[in-house]
Amino acid sequence: MAIIEVNHVTKEFWLGQARSLKQTALDAISRLRGDSLAERVPFKALEDVDFSVDHGEVLGVIGHNGAGKSTLLKLLAGISKPTRGRIAVRGKVAPLIEVGAGLVPDLTGRENILLNASILGMKRAEIASKFNDIVAFAELEEFIDTPIKRYSSGMQVKLGFAVATSVDAEILIVDEVLAVGDLAFQRKCFDRMEDLIKRRGRTVLLVSHNIRQVERLCSRVLLLAHGKVISDGAPTEICNAFYGISDRRIRDTELNQAIRPGRTRTSGSVIVESVDMFDKRGNSVIEIGYLEDVEVRVTYKILVDLPDPIFSVGIHTTDFFYLATSHSVGSLPKITRLPGRYTLSFKIRRFPLLPSVYSLRLGVALGASFQPLLYMENAFSFQVVSTQINRAVQPGYREGFLALDGEWELNALDLRKPCLESPTQEN
Amino acid sequence: MISAVKNLVDYRELVAVLAWKNIAVRYKQAYLGIGWAVLKPLTLMLVFTLVRNFVGIPSGGVPYPILAFAALLPWIFFQESTSEGVQSVVGNAALIRKIYFPREVFPITGITTKLVELGINVLILAGLMLWYRIVPTAQIAWAPLIILYTMLVSLTISFAGAAVNVYYRDVGAALPVLLSLLMYASPVIYPLELVKNKLLLEPAAGAWTDPLYVIYTLNPLVGIIESFQNVVLRGTPPDFAATLPGAILVVVALPLSYSFFKRAESYFADVI
Repeated sequence: MAIIEVNHVTKEFWLGQARSLKQTALDAISRLRGDSLAERVPFKALEDVDFSVDHGEVLGVIGHNGAGKSTLLKLLAGISKPTRGRIAVRGKVAPLIEVGAGLVPDLTGRENILLNASILGMKRAEIASKFNDIVAFAELEEFIDTPIKRYSSGMQVKLGFAVATSVDAEILIVDEVLAVGDLAFQRKCFDRMEDLIKRRGRTVLLVSHNIRQVERLCSRVLLLAHGKVISDGAPTEICNAFYGISDRRIRDTELNQAIRPGRTRTSGSVIVESVDMFDKRGNSVIEIGYLEDVEVRVTYKILVDLPDPIFSVGIHTTDFFYLATSHSVGSLPKITRLPGRYTLSFKIRRFPLLPSVYSLRLGVALGASFQPLLYMENAFSFQVVSTQINRAVQPGYREGFLALDGEWELNALDLRKPCLESPTQEN
Repeated sequence: MISAVKNLVDYRELVAVLAWKNIAVRYKQAYLGIGWAVLKPLTLMLVFTLVRNFVGIPSGGVPYPILAFAALLPWIFFQESTSEGVQSVVGNAALIRKIYFPREVFPITGITTKLVELGINVLILAGLMLWYRIVPTAQIAWAPLIILYTMLVSLTISFAGAAVNVYYRDVGAALPVLLSLLMYASPVIYPLELVKNKLLLEPAAGAWTDPLYVIYTLNPLVGIIESFQNVVLRGTPPDFAATLPGAILVVVALPLSYSFFKRAESYFADVI
């Protein structure tokens, strides 16, 4: 029997201001008169969501901002009701949603612990027995009898979190609250979560933007987008899929901006007409596979005689971290190019950059003096994708950007006897 | 209704803690919190006494000031409880959005908080009774029941009012005005005897007299105030005849108000 069941749940909201008494009255009059009303279109925060959670499962819910994650959690915590569909929750729920919200500034830490713990459903006796643990976890022993309006915001949230995680409930619903406090405290929170999950077998629903945390803590991940469940399955797979989607969104935003490319310096003698990228089959693409062959094609319009121009193509990240540059020095004949339109083709073998969004830089210079004629950044945005690489580690800056093209081999030099043999067998 | 009582029992500790929070916060801010509990009824009593010297209101055998105070005690309790109750849901918006417990805890807590101020007023009343040398009789045992009945009246308005107030904040704004009007329709400034004399003994409104009296007593506060004055000051039993119409109204309206509240409850978190 599943501990949580969500049956074809849809949640709709009306956008805009709440209706005033005057507006409702006017609408009623219009209806009586038979006039048609402007229909307000409801916003579907969740659309036909269907899944169930078993006892002890740790379910992660990820998705872009506005995908419906918090709405789903609120429905599961009983704070809101679905517009259509049914939700069954068979167990006591401890919601860790907006942990700082129930704190009253004028009361002391001690009084706030009593208040918040009662609100979360703890009885007097239980609060008394867990009080010292809560204070110790929040590291607030010295300050416990001071009104919390004197606390720093970090201290307040620590207090809220400490109380919330002391609640004895079968189901824990955590809405983006693990990212509070300094690094040491975050570590503590993470450890406590792991303790609750692994040693006490709680069922946990976790919403977080820290995909790494989600991948580490959860046994199953739900990916939401625009109110629908896109996929539901093993953490690694779903998290990678999410990175792919996120990158695509970044790239699409980049593309919209790349109509006006970034920093451009030109002497006027060369103009970039178009930039394109082609995969190994000759299709024009903005997405290429990891380690695939790719061709960059730039159409230049040359306005004057250019003696031995050198072309360069470079790659940079979306935040202008330059990664690679290649020049055509020695590869093209050293002749004077006459005015006209030209197509420059640069074929790259086994494009070595790891999956992410990148942009092209272009340059044209005179061969003899390297005098620059044209420089353009952010000329073209594209994305490298791969289904095989685990992206749940922080991309880019810690793993680097490049893969090295080499060959792997494992040869046995000698084989030792297995260590697990029992003494009698050795003799 | 059974579930309502069950909820009340289950959540009694929460109601107590939330009521304590309300009181603690108010008193921590200034001493004026407790001062207002004393000031309001005393000031009104003085003003009414002053007016009475000009207007001339018969007060029966009891001195007018203490009669007025005894009327003010349940009235102010009702007025404050209802105002607090109607605003209780909107005032706790943060809690509504972060956790679920039965929302009737909020109006109930509002009313419970006002019991403290009522207690202070009872002490003042006791002082006044000492001053005027009025000795309470056994009838005073009715008083707690009368107060309980007052709480039910307040809840009837608070449930429906709090629910509507979430959608249309006009209710919370209009309430003080409506309650002031209700005070004039209740025997606070004038005793019920005055109304009875006018309407029942000398039929002042002709054929409309009897229905008018019934309409007047539909206001539950009429029965409450008159009965309270009876049992505390006059040593007579509560006036059941005056209380009955109001009581019937409450018995009918309270379950309706409560079920309206429970139905609206599902949508509080979305709208608030």
